[in-house]
Amino acid sequence: MTNSSRREFLKYSAAAGAALGSTSLSNLAMADEVLKVGAVYVSPVSEIGWTKQHSLGVDAIKAALGNKVEVTTIDSIFKPQDAERVFREMASSGNKLIFGTSFSHGTPMQKVAKRFPDVAFEHCAGIKHTKNLGTFEAKYFEGTYLAGVAAGHVSKSAKIGFIGGFPIPDIVGPANALLLGAQSVNPDMTCSVIFLNSWFDPGKEKEAANTLISQGCDVICSMTDTATGVQVAGQKDVWSIGYASDMSQFGNGKHLTAFTLDWSSVYVNAAKSVATGTWKTSERWQGLSEGVVKMSPLNTDIPAAGKAEVKKAQAAIIAGSLHPFAGEVKDQADKVRAAAGGTLSTSDIRGFNWFVKGMVGKLG
Amino acid sequence: MRFQIERRAEPSSFMRFGAPVYATFSTLVVSSIMFALLGHNPADTLFAFFITPLMTINGISEWLLKASPLILIGCGLAIGFRANVWNIGAEGQLVIGAVCASGVGLFYPAPESTLLLPLMVIAGMAGGMVWAAIPAFLRARMNTNEILVTLMMTYIATLLLSLLVHGPWRDPDGYNYPQTALLPDAAMFELFDPMYRLNTSILITVVAVFAMWFFTERSFFGYKMSVGGAAPLAARYAGFKQSRSIWVGLLISGGLAGIAGMAEAAGPLGQLSAQISPGYGFAAIIVAFIGRLHAVGIVLGGLLLSLLYLGGEAVQLSLGLPSALTSIFQGMLLFFLLASDFLIFYRFTPSPKPTKGGVT
Repeated sequence: MTNSSRREFLKYSAAAGAALGSTSLSNLAMADEVLKVGAVYVSPVSEIGWTKQHSLGVDAIKAALGNKVEVTTIDSIFKPQDAERVFREMASSGNKLIFGTSFSHGTPMQKVAKRFPDVAFEHCAGIKHTKNLGTFEAKYFEGTYLAGVAAGHVSKSAKIGFIGGFPIPDIVGPANALLLGAQSVNPDMTCSVIFLNSWFDPGKEKEAANTLISQGCDVICSMTDTATGVQVAGQKDVWSIGYASDMSQFGNGKHLTAFTLDWSSVYVNAAKSVATGTWKTSERWQGLSEGVVKMSPLNTDIPAAGKAEVKKAQAAIIAGSLHPFAGEVKDQADKVRAAAGGTLSTSDIRGFNWFVKGMVGKLG
Repeated sequence: MRFQIERRAEPSSFMRFGAPVYATFSTLVVSSIMFALLGHNPADTLFAFFITPLMTINGISEWLLKASPLILIGCGLAIGFRANVWNIGAEGQLVIGAVCASGVGLFYPAPESTLLLPLMVIAGMAGGMVWAAIPAFLRARMNTNEILVTLMMTYIATLLLSLLVHGPWRDPDGYNYPQTALLPDAAMFELFDPMYRLNTSILITVVAVFAMWFFTERSFFGYKMSVGGAAPLAARYAGFKQSRSIWVGLLISGGLAGIAGMAEAAGPLGQLSAQISPGYGFAAIIVAFIGRLHAVGIVLGGLLLSLLYLGGEAVQLSLGLPSALTSIFQGMLLFFLLASDFLIFYRFTPSPKPTKGGVT
């Protein structure tokens, strides 16, 4: 929405009034009504990264619903205080479906959702869902496991370096799976971890990547909102793994692969079901088989055997015959967390606060 | 022709208090040009930026809610700044205030008690004061630079918060995510109206503004501190102790920042997570200067800065303008303010022609 005026503002206010008056989601089913959708981003939309992938989801809604939908977005909303105000503003200006794209949007969304029972809220990376607040999340660990298999085939030092934004389960789990994937090729692989305590801090990330490389890591994987890890690895001529978007353009030919996120199905399904009045709150946790996690093209320099093994593992995960956290899984203290033949439970995976054996570093 | 900078003999006090007005006016003119270049009608954009956020009761509630901590912290900082005590670390004192207050809120054995909230205010204030006491001690005793120490203490504070929410204070039902459980109801400030987020913590800010005005304008100690800042040698000659000013300046600003942090935790946040402050501690420095270190000015400065945030969001939502605009706006305002400040005290005069071979 680029063209607005005072008159339109008045229209929104009227819509807000109407929104407060209406009582249930099914009122929206009216055929020729334009659905208003809002999305709140944590950072500006750039070429690559987390927010870019969410903006592609929003674009998919526009493509799928055309002139039946009107989308409003706002970026750089991260702190809970600001988020609550923005969600409230969006809900009261007639948006019937509102996306939050960060864990930090959770508590504010829960509060606002309670006040606007006829608005559908969708929270990415959320953990609590309510009557009109659904959550969706990707199984990043399926992607990192495959990237780990590729890493296991190219690493000479048997050391991976991992850079994480924050030591939260959604980062710790994928880091664990990365190493387990690599260990499936070479059981001696280890993985050193540095947390930045920031999603976007290219300076710190560059330092972290340099540190890991100087410690002998020859594959770098960064789960942050920048391509810095991939860039530094390329400059130092070591392998890299991209996250969220294909980052091969930054990798100087050393980009092994990337585990990318494609939220478009989630966004479009939510918009369509709100438009037809069939939206219901739900919890989605989707990965390779649903197409939410996708692997970008494998680097042509990976040995053929390695490529074949990645493809095989990918097919096996999609088919359900391979689980990245299938036992036996041991933690850093050698304690068995999943026995041979078993698998870590969903709550273990979603609540990861420990590292698997072979990880070098501490949480927090 | 070359120019030189010359100090004005008598800065006009009319101009001095008018400076924020000129700065705002210049910002409006330049930003209008900027909007026009971006292809937006300047009048409509300015309307969306400054007027629409305040057209609803909710908007006004949000405006005051965001201005309140800025004003509260700004008042404390100004007291120190007047005495040349540069507390740059209000952000850290705010974080510690929020941590101490939430600690009380989360672990006090009687979560229903009406004493809980007052105890949290005290804990928040004490936390902020202790955090500011460290640089105060180092400055008063060892003459370390309080600008650096307060700033570095901010990093320690945020890491301490991160440590707590990632570790011992993590919500046991929160999937190991770095945030605490929600504070009990008795630990939260009362809302004026359940439909809006504005809460009674703003009353603390109101009291602080009056107290700050009284302290700086009417009390002897406040006067001594100002003299110490404006003319340190004269103050020493008059027997005013500088270390006193350091302690008072840092403890008051730390205490108020601590209360501001407490009010965030017990207000819009309701829990601690790894990031709790939208930079209020730093923004309050701007507020203190926009407000010319004066109580009334700080109130206006806080309201203006808060409106800039809300306006930035409003034009993003309604016109799709980029979020960087808010930062440009703030930067421009501060630039013009400092520039007009400079021109109040100094002027440009043509350089005298250097005489041949002479010493200039």
